[in-house]
Amino acid sequence: MRRLGELAVPGAVVGMAAGFVAGGLALVVGQPPGWAMVTALTFGVPLALLGGLYGVLVGSGKVRIGVFAPAALFWFVGFPPARLAHEVLSGLVLGGVAGWPSDLVGFLAYQAMVSLGWAIGFLWLHERIAPGWLRRVRAGNPRAAELFERYVVHAAALAEARERRRSRHPSRAGRT
Amino acid sequence: MDSSNAPAASSSESGVTPPPSAERVWQAGRLEPMPIRKLPDAPPSIHLLGPTVFLVALGVGMGESYMWPRLVLLFGPEIRWLFLIGVTLQAVVMLEMARYAMATGESIFFGAARVFKPIMWFFFVVAILVYIWPGHLSAGAAALERITGIPWVVSACVGLVLVGLLFSMAKVIYPLLENVLALLIGLLVVSTSIVAAMVGQWSDVVSTITGMFHFGYFPEQAMSPAWFPIIVGSIAFAGPSGMQQMWYTLHLRDSGAGMGAHIPKVRGLRHAGEEEEMPSRGFMFDTDDADEMKKWKGWRRWVTFDALLLFWGITMLVTISFTVLAQAASRQSPDVKGLIESGEREAALNAMSDAFASAGGPVLGGVFLGFIALIGLNATLGLFDSFSRGQSDMAYHFVPGAKKFGVSKLYAGFLWGVILFGIAILLWGPADGPGAILDVLAFLSTFAMGAYCVVLLLVNNRMLPKPIRPKLVTNLVIGFGAVFYLGMLIFSLVKFGVVVG
Repeated sequence: MRRLGELAVPGAVVGMAAGFVAGGLALVVGQPPGWAMVTALTFGVPLALLGGLYGVLVGSGKVRIGVFAPAALFWFVGFPPARLAHEVLSGLVLGGVAGWPSDLVGFLAYQAMVSLGWAIGFLWLHERIAPGWLRRVRAGNPRAAELFERYVVHAAALAEARERRRSRHPSRAGRT
Repeated sequence: MDSSNAPAASSSESGVTPPPSAERVWQAGRLEPMPIRKLPDAPPSIHLLGPTVFLVALGVGMGESYMWPRLVLLFGPEIRWLFLIGVTLQAVVMLEMARYAMATGESIFFGAARVFKPIMWFFFVVAILVYIWPGHLSAGAAALERITGIPWVVSACVGLVLVGLLFSMAKVIYPLLENVLALLIGLLVVSTSIVAAMVGQWSDVVSTITGMFHFGYFPEQAMSPAWFPIIVGSIAFAGPSGMQQMWYTLHLRDSGAGMGAHIPKVRGLRHAGEEEEMPSRGFMFDTDDADEMKKWKGWRRWVTFDALLLFWGITMLVTISFTVLAQAASRQSPDVKGLIESGEREAALNAMSDAFASAGGPVLGGVFLGFIALIGLNATLGLFDSFSRGQSDMAYHFVPGAKKFGVSKLYAGFLWGVILFGIAILLWGPADGPGAILDVLAFLSTFAMGAYCVVLLLVNNRMLPKPIRPKLVTNLVIGFGAVFYLGMLIFSLVKFGVVVG
């Protein structure tokens, strides 16, 4: 379980960070800090759970690293319920009444649209955080080591393409 | 002038040029023929995180965050059908630019010279006329002034010098900068999505999206000498603007896409001494070889994904998000429209800030101005680098005696030239404000875009082997682009007699 949990960390961090963005937004519109914290948690926790699940799917080989389409599909399905959970739970905690949106279908459709943008940002950050994190935990976690190896192979494939070019131009070291 | 010799089997995979008598070449135009080389393998899978992503992120600029939300506030979401046409056209243009660059490793400027050299000189001059003005940075710096109180001329001048130092020291600094900016851009996309998820609603999206399909909508007020030229310029600023598409061919080459793998990279001034010699022309692959054509199709899929998801998708996402917020603000503070109509250009930036402030509090208004400042700096980084790449490429190949300097030193020369001129303009020039510079840029960009559509038709249909030439539908779309951009430009001149309102 701990091993799976470690695979989930990068996605969970990105999800939780997004929750704090939402909490920060609540703060700047003038809500009290307690309410902002509720917003951060009720939105951040579902996103963190889903982000973690995405990491586990990548770790188990069900989703290929860095590829956009599966990430977009995953969040197209997952993001609207996460946002709905935030809406309902924050209403329940703060007002004692579940805050169901008046136009549920419209609400979910809108969030599904936003999810595509969210998927781009999520994947972008996840792919930048994950390799560094996996390198740290791979020693005690074979699954993490295996996933890290996949990132290395992928990076090596890209580097090899560059290297082939360099071998034709030995004096070059490359700028970008 | 038309191409004649069909390319044949590759003569060498090592890059060692065999004796001229043994070499198979592709003759394109009257310039030096292209030797046949192997096409590298396309990237193994469709990945979001390619080198182009970074460039695309820089391409999301003032048009998306400033000009279009401003037009929507003034004329309503229906005006966005012009945006849809502008961005879609540019996605097709991008694919066609990539066709020539990936097939030859040459820039589109070199391709234009193969058709008729004066066309290339035309772009050389237009680039100088349009891009020596420090418009993007000055707009961003004005936003920074509102946050920090630092006079915008000071921060703009400091920013220009920093850009020059950055690209001169490039080999050391650029990877670090790329990582930092990539994280910031990732955060920006995530935050924009979260903000949109929190404050937007379905009806905003419905009006924004249906607004994109109101083909032909043009309110009477927009048909005025004051607004029509700005709208024309804003269409040019939808997505990668002006000559950025032409420069994209140089970035593709530098990232090693397609036959660009056979061309050396441009280096920062500090490392110019390590530069190897730039070949005097590009290369062609064997289009009669089925394996090579399979690899070519792989490269086309790769670049199509970039065009559709990144250029088209991200541009749409950012603009829709900003527009949704602007609409919300317009409902809350009806005087926003009045501020823009009053004729005070800077009121537009302030109104955009108010839009964010009314949607999410005063801090969010400041955050918006921070975005504008960051986007301004990003755009300047991208534009100055691209300008210098384009000019040094043309100068290296076609200015007599320029080869002895090498591309990297020419690049540095153009970069520092545009920076010093920019500082002089900011300090003593005719620029009466950031908005004014931006509008001039926008309008002149339109002309370049109409012209490069014509060049694309000529280059891709006459300079490439038949199996990799564009299809009829693509040619029709690019032809429509030329008519669209140049037609609106001429209409504006004839109908209103003005270049910029």
